[in-house]
Amino acid sequence: MSAGLTSLIVLLIAAAVGWMAYRHAAHLRTGGRLHSLPTYHGVHAALWVLAPALLVLAAWAPMQSRLIDQAVLATPEGEALPQFEMQRQAILDEARQIAHREIEAGFNPESTTIAPRITEAEGRYGSIGAIGAILVALGSAGIILLRRRDREFRARTAVERWMNGLLLVASLIAIFTTLGIVLSLLFESLRFFKLVPLTDFLFGLSWSPQTAIRADQAGSSGAFGSIPLFWGTVFIGAIIAMIVAIPLGLMSAIYLTQYAAPKVRSVVKPLLEILAGVPTVVYGYFAALTLAPAVRDLGIALGVSSASSESALAAGLVMGVMIIPFVSSMADDSIAAVPQAMRDGSLALGATRSETIRKVLLPAALPGVVGGVLLAVSRAIGETMIVVMAAGLSANLSANPFASVTTVTVQIVQLLTGDQEFDSAKTLAAFALGLVLFLITLALNLIALTVVRRYREAYE
Amino acid sequence: MSSIAADFPATRWTDQAMQSRLRRRYRSESLFKFLGFAAVGISLSFLVFLLGTMIWKGIGGLTLDFLRNSDSTDAATAGVWGALKGSFLAILVTMALAFPVGVLSAIYLEEYAPRNRWTDLIEVSINNLAAVPSIIFGLLGLAVFLNTMNLPRSAPLVGGLTLALMTMPVIVIAGRNAITSVPPSIREAALGVGASKMQVIFHHVLPLALPGILTGTIIGMARALGETAPLLMIGMRAFIAVPPSGITDPASVLPVQIFLWSDEVDRAFIEKTSAAIIVLLVFMLMMNALAIYLRNRFEQRW
Repeated sequence: MSAGLTSLIVLLIAAAVGWMAYRHAAHLRTGGRLHSLPTYHGVHAALWVLAPALLVLAAWAPMQSRLIDQAVLATPEGEALPQFEMQRQAILDEARQIAHREIEAGFNPESTTIAPRITEAEGRYGSIGAIGAILVALGSAGIILLRRRDREFRARTAVERWMNGLLLVASLIAIFTTLGIVLSLLFESLRFFKLVPLTDFLFGLSWSPQTAIRADQAGSSGAFGSIPLFWGTVFIGAIIAMIVAIPLGLMSAIYLTQYAAPKVRSVVKPLLEILAGVPTVVYGYFAALTLAPAVRDLGIALGVSSASSESALAAGLVMGVMIIPFVSSMADDSIAAVPQAMRDGSLALGATRSETIRKVLLPAALPGVVGGVLLAVSRAIGETMIVVMAAGLSANLSANPFASVTTVTVQIVQLLTGDQEFDSAKTLAAFALGLVLFLITLALNLIALTVVRRYREAYE
Repeated sequence: MSSIAADFPATRWTDQAMQSRLRRRYRSESLFKFLGFAAVGISLSFLVFLLGTMIWKGIGGLTLDFLRNSDSTDAATAGVWGALKGSFLAILVTMALAFPVGVLSAIYLEEYAPRNRWTDLIEVSINNLAAVPSIIFGLLGLAVFLNTMNLPRSAPLVGGLTLALMTMPVIVIAGRNAITSVPPSIREAALGVGASKMQVIFHHVLPLALPGILTGTIIGMARALGETAPLLMIGMRAFIAVPPSGITDPASVLPVQIFLWSDEVDRAFIEKTSAAIIVLLVFMLMMNALAIYLRNRFEQRW
């Protein structure tokens, strides 16, 4: 029996019990005032049927998959499988996909013979779980129906306690997501650092993750020094992109808040925001199609022999444009937060508008602007599609904007989307890169958010 | 006093020195204003150039067959229907998960949460999650949904789950802003006539905050629709010639389709890629227009 059908049956039982509780309460109501409306009596009863049964189903699911694996391995076909843990797991995974009709045939011939055993075991343990859940639902239904509630029963308070729990669980999901990110990255990274020493990874100057299949081939070891990647990331995301985004974003914000007529502002600001809404894959395509050849030609015209069609400059320029509205709206907010009195005071002393902006507003708004720039940097170095499509793959330690450099995100995509050898240092390296990227952006975000909040509080 | 007089010998407006200094200040004033204008102009002309290039290259490929066919190795018959359907299914999963969780979480944080270290931790992790690079969510999806939970690869279900984790913080932040902007007098009036706290929130505060929440949700959904990197991580880049019929079938999504086509050597795919970009941008514009409409139509200012 499928989990969907089981949940449906449990739901029907809960609805029936809820309806009975509702009728009972409605009947009680004819004799006098109830503490809670009949609806709450119904919902309360339904919840008490639903929750334990669903809990059983949820707890059974992970147990079930382990039991199925054990049962399949105990069959004669299962015992014939190779004893090597990793290979056996791969065959089981394939057989599971065949059993679910996701693929027609597996890479390993054994998986086809195992597949019917998996179907059998899944049927058996699936129905055990289903029957268990339905029995629990019926049991709690019986208990609820036997305990007839009286007029004073506080069903609403009880239902609200449930709702309170639900709200708390919903807000905890954010923490669980953060925890999930940290743990999954950390777990895979630790396995990577068993293969490649941490110091080689953090301070190595050469990156070439191509590990050979046989140990005697040339260049079999592969080099996992991440410095060139981080240099490329910083060069594109924090240097070139910011050279574009900071002046353009800041000046746009100043023009729109201080000079433009309200009508112009109300039209231009949403238009600028469109720049932030354009999907990054579109920017990437645009950079690769239009800007990259132009930048290469420019480089050749300037006499740079190493000018590449996958230059850091093209990727950085487009990324900078993408960040403009971000910088602009952060600057906008922080300039607007400067008290009007400071601006009025400066103007009253005879300063021109531009002098007021440069000497009073900007210094006062600086913490907010810096916070915004930090957030923008954090977004730029984590940006993926633009650099995947417009920047190169070769890990160069070069400050030449016409040369090709690669970034952390490009390499993560490259490592995980090629032909994956499971558990190789190559695959695990992506998680180690992800961990470092996460920690860097986390630090930038925390600093930026603190700076911005302190600044807001200062003027409130 | 005397030192000031020494520093500024020309104090009369008619003096030559004063006049030239004024001229210099006014010149720098208009230069500054022009720089601001130029910054806006450059940004906007880039937008126009970007959209113009895509329309110019892609408008010819925008035929009915292009919208009806699915991916193909032959540029002449390749279309976006399969990818569009995959995107639609993934967004549906995202919405079904991120919206309720986001709204409930926003309610808890605004109305119930006590001010303590735990609440601060939740707040910090939500604000940080909103700024975590999307590719990290892809790594999370790969490690948790595919490798640990054994969910099907390349499926809109996994794509939707991953995007939901990404969109949820956006909805929480929008929801909290919308809930705070409901004036306390509404809550007090409802409490005054005997509603319980839960009734106040679900009968009064939430309906009033809903337009704001929906606006934030739609913007978050539009961003999820355009997201590519996390979906590459969970294997939604396979060549799929048959449109998915459910959320567990292998599928591609529109942005990933654009990425795959952009890699093709065949020049005919340039037109296909640009046409697919037009389709994607039209959908995003429609969603954003809906958000703006909702905001203007229903948002109340107290």
